[in-house]
Amino acid sequence: MSEAPGTHHAQARVHAPLHAPLAYRLRWRPEGVFPGAHPGHGEGMEGEFRRLVPLLRQPDPRRLDLRASLRDPFGDLHVRQFAPRRAVALAALVDVSGSMRFGEAVRGRVADLCGLLALSAVRAGDSFALFSCDAHLRDEASLPPSRRRGLEEEVRQRLMAVRPQGRGTGGLMEAAERLPARRSLVFLVSDFLIPLDELDRLLDALWRHDVIPVRVADSALEDALPRWGLIEIADLESGASRLVFMRPGLRERWRTRARAHRDALAHSFARRGLRDFELNDRLDHEALARRLLEG
Amino acid sequence: MNAAGMAASLTRDWGVDQPWLLLLLALALLPFAATAFVRRGIASTLLVPDDALSKAVSLGLRLAGSVAIATIVLGLAGLHQREQAIVRQGTGAHLVLLLDRSSSMDNSFADRAPSGDQEAKSVVAKRLLVDFIGRRPRDRIAVSAFSTSPMPILPLTDHHDVVRAAINAIDRPGLAFTDVGRGLALALDSFADDANESSRAILLVSDGAALIDRRVQEALRDAVIRTPVHLYWLFLRSRGSKGIFDIPPPGEDTPQANPERHLHLFLQSLGVPYEAFEATSPQAVERAIAEIDRQETRPLTYVERVPRRDFAHAAFAAAAVAIGLLLAAKLGERALTRAMPAAPAGAGHTGAAPMRRAA
Repeated sequence: MSEAPGTHHAQARVHAPLHAPLAYRLRWRPEGVFPGAHPGHGEGMEGEFRRLVPLLRQPDPRRLDLRASLRDPFGDLHVRQFAPRRAVALAALVDVSGSMRFGEAVRGRVADLCGLLALSAVRAGDSFALFSCDAHLRDEASLPPSRRRGLEEEVRQRLMAVRPQGRGTGGLMEAAERLPARRSLVFLVSDFLIPLDELDRLLDALWRHDVIPVRVADSALEDALPRWGLIEIADLESGASRLVFMRPGLRERWRTRARAHRDALAHSFARRGLRDFELNDRLDHEALARRLLEG
Repeated sequence: MNAAGMAASLTRDWGVDQPWLLLLLALALLPFAATAFVRRGIASTLLVPDDALSKAVSLGLRLAGSVAIATIVLGLAGLHQREQAIVRQGTGAHLVLLLDRSSSMDNSFADRAPSGDQEAKSVVAKRLLVDFIGRRPRDRIAVSAFSTSPMPILPLTDHHDVVRAAINAIDRPGLAFTDVGRGLALALDSFADDANESSRAILLVSDGAALIDRRVQEALRDAVIRTPVHLYWLFLRSRGSKGIFDIPPPGEDTPQANPERHLHLFLQSLGVPYEAFEATSPQAVERAIAEIDRQETRPLTYVERVPRRDFAHAAFAAAAVAIGLLLAAKLGERALTRAMPAAPAGAGHTGAAPMRRAA
């Protein structure tokens, strides 16, 4: 209890660089027509340098690379080729079922993350859409794709206002259908405490998109479980409660089980070439930046 | 009233003082609906391993809560065990001591006022009878006395203290005459409400006899047929008086002249086991009583009255134990995580400051 104010200060300090957007790279070339910041499909006049091609192949003398042409012992003329800069659509699919109430995840780190993503998207000229889902898509906590300024504030407010409840992942499936038809960068924010076959179905529905699963976890739950004592635990989704008599053996079994679930999730993601990002306790900007730059 | 009737019909042995308080017993179901612990929300109980011991502890604590409430209610309602008659098995007899209280009992065996180391017959009888019942703790003993008329003193009872007190009183100065017949009738009456199959005996202690009225004789015969008993006559024979076994010369053998002998004959004619002891000295009395003591040892079913026992204290003690368990469990309650509070308070505050800067 006494450390609560200190925690707030710490969180406030962490929130300070929120207005510093993160850069992100794509492992793929977005299609589309909106000019943006990402090297896209096709040939462009400007943007990221891609390669040199003979003038005969691209008869555009304006892009003639004089130095390369002079250096060529065969005297061929070379023309610079660029990738066009395209915008990409970002979307955050946020699971706001009852289980996400644990540790006030949605109002805390998930809101931080989505606000930061919205800011980064807007600064990079990309659009950002927010979908909050429990059993159904929750419109009052969702935002259609937009690239207007101040979007991050709106995203935060929507997520702060939402009260996680309900169960299931039906809303995520609905949201998957409402995503743009072009390949987008989709952040799937959930605690993934769902049956694995349900998760597979969801990932199947998201096949078109570049999915970054963001696993909301609570490291304290695993590391700081008491060794001895009685705990009455209540499932936030079903409301069923039961008494647990904690002791070192049970604690170990609990942690083993949590690890096994995590491994199963990672395996499920890896089969589709995905890698999850762990959103632990609070938003770690460094780790997120690193992860986004890795593509 | 109705509730009291129901409670009484529900259980014959147990009772409560305030039956309406038993309605509160419904509260004992509460622990199965509510929990004494703070519910800690967790994202999913799927990850929590199933644990038999936890289930057992949970059930045990719910039961403890239930027991605590139930026992407190029972304690408040005043649970008690009703006064009861418990049937027990022992060795002994149902015995009626029929004591002669005529004034001649105050004399010594020499038929004089006792002096020096001589003892009155009543004092000897008292001492020996007290020893006698002291050796027979399982007997149910009634005491009757007779003189001019019979005197019921004690009904059949297990409480030997009372019997002892009654016997101690027989050396008080005696009354007038001796009416054995009605005394015997009274002694037989003592068995009237005794439906038990145990051995019954009447020990008649007297130093003389008198003529028994013919009507009383008939009544005695009837009574003996109804309630078969063993008869023992301890005849404290004074010096000079006629013995019961002596056959007087013909012509003198009349009931008027030899009432003792004719009482003996009458008792013999009753058709029940009968034995007479003629005691001429304290030692002979002792031998007679030893003989009776030897004969009347049969298995005996006797009923012991147990007074009402209050169980409110026991109920409260049980409640204290149960509550102690709950308290221990409550003290052993832990938050889900050691470091963090279960629900971070004021989470809404977290984003306010940076958002202001961002705007």
